Amino acid sequence: MALRNWALRKSLWVYHVNAGACNNCDIEVLELLTPRYDIERFGMILVGSPRHADVLAVTGICTRQAMPRLQEVYMQTPKPCVVMAIGSCALAQGIFTEAYHAALPVDETIKAVDPDAIIIYVPGCAPKPEAMIDAAVKGMAHLKTLQ
Amino acid sequence: MSVVSTKTETPLTGPVGEVLHLLGDIVTEVHQCTPRRGIARIDPARVVEAAQALIAMEGSRLATASGVDVRDGIDVLYHWCFEPQGFVVTVKALAARPELALDSIANVVSGAIWIEREIHDLFGANFRDHPDMRRLILDDSWPQGVYPLRKDFDQVHDRPPLPANRPPPEVDASGPRQDLPAKAGRTIVNLGPYHPLQEEAEFFQLYVEGETVVDMDVRISYNHRGIEKLDESKTFDQVPFVVERVCGICSASHPLAYVQAVEEIAHVEVPERALYLRTIVVELERLHSHLLWVGLAGHFLGYNTVFMWAWKYREPVMEILEKSTGSRVAYANCKIGGVRRDMEDDQLREIDKISGDLVKPLDMLTKAVLDDPVLHARLKGVGVLTPEAVKLYGATGPTARGSGVPIDVRRDDPYGAYDRLDWDVQTAPGGDVFGKAVVRLKECFEAAKIIRQCVRDIPGGEIDAKVEAIPPGEGVGHVEAPRGETFHYVRSDGSNRPVRHKIRAPSFVNIPTFKASCIGMQIPDVAITLASVDPCYSCTERMCSIVDATTHKPVLTFKELIRLSQEKTRRMRKE
Repeated sequence: MALRNWALRKSLWVYHVNAGACNNCDIEVLELLTPRYDIERFGMILVGSPRHADVLAVTGICTRQAMPRLQEVYMQTPKPCVVMAIGSCALAQGIFTEAYHAALPVDETIKAVDPDAIIIYVPGCAPKPEAMIDAAVKGMAHLKTLQ
Repeated sequence: MSVVSTKTETPLTGPVGEVLHLLGDIVTEVHQCTPRRGIARIDPARVVEAAQALIAMEGSRLATASGVDVRDGIDVLYHWCFEPQGFVVTVKALAARPELALDSIANVVSGAIWIEREIHDLFGANFRDHPDMRRLILDDSWPQGVYPLRKDFDQVHDRPPLPANRPPPEVDASGPRQDLPAKAGRTIVNLGPYHPLQEEAEFFQLYVEGETVVDMDVRISYNHRGIEKLDESKTFDQVPFVVERVCGICSASHPLAYVQAVEEIAHVEVPERALYLRTIVVELERLHSHLLWVGLAGHFLGYNTVFMWAWKYREPVMEILEKSTGSRVAYANCKIGGVRRDMEDDQLREIDKISGDLVKPLDMLTKAVLDDPVLHARLKGVGVLTPEAVKLYGATGPTARGSGVPIDVRRDDPYGAYDRLDWDVQTAPGGDVFGKAVVRLKECFEAAKIIRQCVRDIPGGEIDAKVEAIPPGEGVGHVEAPRGETFHYVRSDGSNRPVRHKIRAPSFVNIPTFKASCIGMQIPDVAITLASVDPCYSCTERMCSIVDATTHKPVLTFKELIRLSQEKTRRMRKE
């Protein structure tokens, strides 16, 4: 476990999961890759498979159809991993709390399959890329404290 | 003003009247007619006949159909747009209780396949002889016989139990396709629902024989949130904030279309300055959205330089949107009767400067994309959508204009300040992915031109007509969003909430065109064709190495492959 935690201190790889979002957060996640924000300077990169990822960047309210699939993607991610719940929807379903096709917020959905999941909350609708960078850096700091 | 008349009393005039006359005695009653809008009831037994007559008319297009839960059953409202005259005729047919059945028009108009599946899912209306009536919108665990958009369904208290935790069900609730039996040599390739670099979750199944795609199927629902029902619980003034979150990249167009539909019900005269301000914001949105697409398309093709460039030049646009509206992506500037916030003179000057400065990098980007022989080889003749298919599927926006179909709501049914400005509808022949890219790039220049004219010509004065109450009635509003026409239908009963709010986003009609454009293509070309209508979809780029079977040595090394590609590019440049 210690070796794994050591490996997580730098170069977090991120997999982006849209669990029923309006695309606002998603384009801001992609924005992180581009020259203005350039998250690669922290060694972070978006990867194509959850099996390669250290961080799941989850956006959206978690719809009924997405719920079991989000859990499946989480289980496929090697542990320990960090879940970044991005945007008001992922935090508490935002404006869609009363919508009939909404399941549970992202943290509850993931804690239903793994009660010890590490979750970072990034509030905002949509959060600015700066906020996401801030969250990612805080996540890295937290991972360093794990033994 | 609305003229309420029955067919026998007042003979109708104008283009709407002509259409209703052509329908003859299928029309039983005319509800409401303004010069650009007509609402008529038709004989429910003759729905197919009406659809055949309407699709045969010059310039007609089935925008969408809305279901409405009424006392006697489900009212199905077919909204037909006519271009370039730019009017909308809504024909209503009642699916009466208890059967709630109508004849399907999907065999006449392909675009109705999804539309009728959606109404069946959400309202429980039945469509006789529908070719493919499987679940489309609701999730796998949603119980049969529960229809969320009916009036007796409460979105909070009547929610069915949550789906089970992982693993997700192996078999999709929508079931296997009936019309495409299994065959030797035919394989199904699954793409999704969570797929590398794919923005949103969609689940594609490609039916392939060898490398050739013979058919395909799409399952959505991953992003279905139930906004139409949610809107019925919000007041008229709150709805723009909800519809802004239909799609984050069209977050100026959706509220505008909704607001226009409500303004049509209330007969509101919007102040001039507000019209110009609305136009500036939707055109800035078009600029950032098209640049986003160009970047992503480059990314999907492995041309990451274009991705980085396009997003770099998009950044000043996002910045000025934040400065002038308060947010990079959710602008909240549109309200019934006008706009919420004015723009200062120095903000307008900065918008003008940024749009002017963008022309040079846009020029460079356009040349980089359109003069690249590799992109010509990769995009030309790929994913061809014919003008006939555009009409049958009711495709809109750059998807239609890339096939040489010159439809554009901004010109045909002008809103905002478009009829006062000098600009052109951009089209490209061919219907291939290249054509769609050309249209989007040219539209960026037009958008910059439109914004600069708006800043130059914007008048002073009020920005809000101060609407107090919304009378009973129904209205449609449509707006040319970056991806195509977004269509909103609103019905009011005189209270402070909409009774029904139907939203049809452009991708709902553009995604089904895959069936027309992808079939017969090779698997690697499917990825960019799916991306060409801009649903933000991608596919993994794969690499294979060829190994000699006897010596086990690679036949082609990485360096050799690069040399071969460079040689081919040089050869193509000469040709």
